Amino acid sequence: MKYILMMNTMRAGHGVPEWPQKDLRTHIAFMMTLNKELRESGELVSAEGLSFPEQARLVRAGKNGTPVTDGVFPESKEFLAGYWIVDVDSAERAYAIAAKASAAPGPGGAPLNMPIEVRPIMSGPPPEML
Amino acid sequence: MKYILLMSGTSAGVEAYHAWPKEDIEAHMAVLWRINQDLTESGEFVATQGLAGPREAKVVRGEKNGVPVTDGIFPESKEFLLGYWIVDVPNAERAYAIAGRISAASTNIPIEVRQFATHETKS
Repeated sequence: MKYILMMNTMRAGHGVPEWPQKDLRTHIAFMMTLNKELRESGELVSAEGLSFPEQARLVRAGKNGTPVTDGVFPESKEFLAGYWIVDVDSAERAYAIAAKASAAPGPGGAPLNMPIEVRPIMSGPPPEML
Repeated sequence: MKYILLMSGTSAGVEAYHAWPKEDIEAHMAVLWRINQDLTESGEFVATQGLAGPREAKVVRGEKNGVPVTDGIFPESKEFLLGYWIVDVPNAERAYAIAGRISAASTNIPIEVRQFATHETKS
């Protein structure tokens, strides 16, 4: 079963670039080890980090189909910072991986305990819609 | 450059979609399939996925001892990721054009467009 593990952040809380370099290195090393472990166990499908919210755009189709972009978001909006897609035997295993990612070290090496949203991935549209 | 096109919505929005007449849902799905096909043919397609509904979502935090703590109760107003497209395109404008097409196919729902971080990790 495939699950997506999503790390969300608010723009205001997106202070990662301001962390002391040492803490940032520890954090990145932790994430790389986690990805390596998941790759070795055969559970990692993909993992990506996204660029910062400043570069995010919201796009809608205009009348003639041309894209209308907007980059102004409410302060409270949550942004996807990065995600993992894992292929695991059970939801519990997906939660265990999410908990591990949640406890990634932050400033001063203390666990961030950030919330990670876990969702099953659909293998395709429901059969009645094909 | 790789971009991810994120389609989000609330639980209420998902329920409203499920209440659409069957032929409208079929027409909607057909347009999305067509977009995927066009992107595959142009070589811009990387991946797309639909996610299971918000009712099956859980938020996990690590406790002190590393034990996962799950929570599945969300405010009504919370936006959930419904699905995404990853495209590999020459510039942001092309990503916006694809997002516009997806938006037009889906009741003009806004699509969030984000570039992958350059330090991306791959499996």
